Amino acid sequence: MSGLALAAVFFAGAGLAPLVVRDAFFLDSLVLILIWGTCAAAWNVAGGYAGQISLGHSAFFGLGAYAAALLTTRWALSPWLGLAVGALVATAIGLVIGYLSNRLRGPYFVLATIAFSQVLLIVGSRWRAVTAGSEGIPVPFRPGFWTLGIADKRVWVWIVLGLAVLAYLVGLYLERARRGYQLMAVREDEDAALSLGVPARRLKVAAICVSAAFTAACGALWAQYVGFVDPFYVFSVDLSVRFALATIIGGLGTALGPFLGAALVTTVETYLRAQFGGIGAGLVGIYLIIYGCALIVMVRWLPQGLVGWIAERVRRRAVPGAAS
Amino acid sequence: MSLLSVSGLSKRFGGVVANRNVSFDVAPGELVGIIGPNGAGKSTLFEIITGFYHPDEGEVRLDGARLTGLSPDVVCRRGVARTFQKLRPFQALTVLDNVMVGALTRTKDVAHARERARELVRKVGLADKVDAHARTLSTGQRKRLELARALATEPRVLLLDEVTGGVDQRTIPELVRLVRDLHAGGLTLLVIEHNMRVITAVAQRILALHLGEVIADGAPDVVARDRRVVEAYLGQAYLP
Repeated sequence: MSGLALAAVFFAGAGLAPLVVRDAFFLDSLVLILIWGTCAAAWNVAGGYAGQISLGHSAFFGLGAYAAALLTTRWALSPWLGLAVGALVATAIGLVIGYLSNRLRGPYFVLATIAFSQVLLIVGSRWRAVTAGSEGIPVPFRPGFWTLGIADKRVWVWIVLGLAVLAYLVGLYLERARRGYQLMAVREDEDAALSLGVPARRLKVAAICVSAAFTAACGALWAQYVGFVDPFYVFSVDLSVRFALATIIGGLGTALGPFLGAALVTTVETYLRAQFGGIGAGLVGIYLIIYGCALIVMVRWLPQGLVGWIAERVRRRAVPGAAS
Repeated sequence: MSLLSVSGLSKRFGGVVANRNVSFDVAPGELVGIIGPNGAGKSTLFEIITGFYHPDEGEVRLDGARLTGLSPDVVCRRGVARTFQKLRPFQALTVLDNVMVGALTRTKDVAHARERARELVRKVGLADKVDAHARTLSTGQRKRLELARALATEPRVLLLDEVTGGVDQRTIPELVRLVRDLHAGGLTLLVIEHNMRVITAVAQRILALHLGEVIADGAPDVVARDRRVVEAYLGQAYLP
């Protein structure tokens, strides 16, 4: 119950904040927190509930970003259509990857996903006839809701919030529904799940597809919001690690965790960019160090993530004297 | 009329023969014990029946319908459940949630599955552990959990791989009683067991495997005195 209340506070706060705060820097951070939170929540469907740890999810993000950018620049179609196409293509590719990697477990699955995103990086940066190659694609700004040419960042907050809430509801559904229990069984022990009649192979593929579709939708929105698609960014392992890290910090296999994790990671990142802005290229290195340290701290002291930590506090307060 | 029918099963791993031409039938309501020294092919036989391994030759039928070639989850839904020799509870889930996974194979209604799971947890004697995480359980409790989880899938035939293995002496009688109760309730069981005292006490019929082959099949007291069984277990020196 406390989880639902916390989620209500989080999403209502994000939705209402633009009415009060007009600061562009704050609104920009909020949009990014919601985008990365949704990506993390999408990653959580495959990685957190089904235990299919992927470090190649940037592949789906990049597919979404490219679908939206190419449809708008080459055929002058709506980026909303690009979002739908990106999500569909990502689902189809998720289906293929899901089947191909179905028998791979643990580290082998992780390696396969990294390889896949790197293949797409090469395609994106070399197939100049279609993607404009390594220069990337500037997305033209055409004012209007249908063309997603929106200058008002408040509107962006609300658009992205819609997708974020949808992704949260998927997580909430999995926490309660039959399919959620079955996915968790697959995560814990696939053979034991099979022996109990859980259609593990099919469920794993389905989880990857749902995860891919949401990630691609985020990629499409992100491309329109930022206005530029760079293959080395959208297909990077860094991005995949970000999705995984936000989820692990927030709480694997929890509906709200990925959003809390993304809020923390994005805030820290923004703060560091302000502090070390002058270093430029050196920033990348600082990031990896901080990511690594955060991961060690979380896994060592808070394996249940932020959500688990908060739940523990609430429980202790509810039962006085239970603190040890 | 047999419920489970195994005919001509053979399975090789490279040059090692795990099962060779294994055939037997299990009648509805029967409790059949399977014995044999380490490496006799008992677990391989279970893996083949439940669809985890595919046999090189032979087939398994349940009530006349072919099981061989189906994937393990389909075999379970057809009505064959199992426990694992090396226990495999869902560590991070609670006892109740573990059993619910099994129950959800038969019902789509989560609330109903929770009720069913609660009943079964009580039945196997884990009522006081219902909300405990599986990783906190002792070996004996884990055995009960696996039993409850398998029962939740409403099997027609239940395969138990080592009921008392690794369990401390005091809990053995309770586990034996549990298996007897299930049998008395009409369930058909196939039980691998190393403890001869236990298996001769619960089984109506025993199947002895040695080097992948069936070397004896019959009443417990007859099989226990069988010349080839004694030789396989104890060596020629012990033969009278």
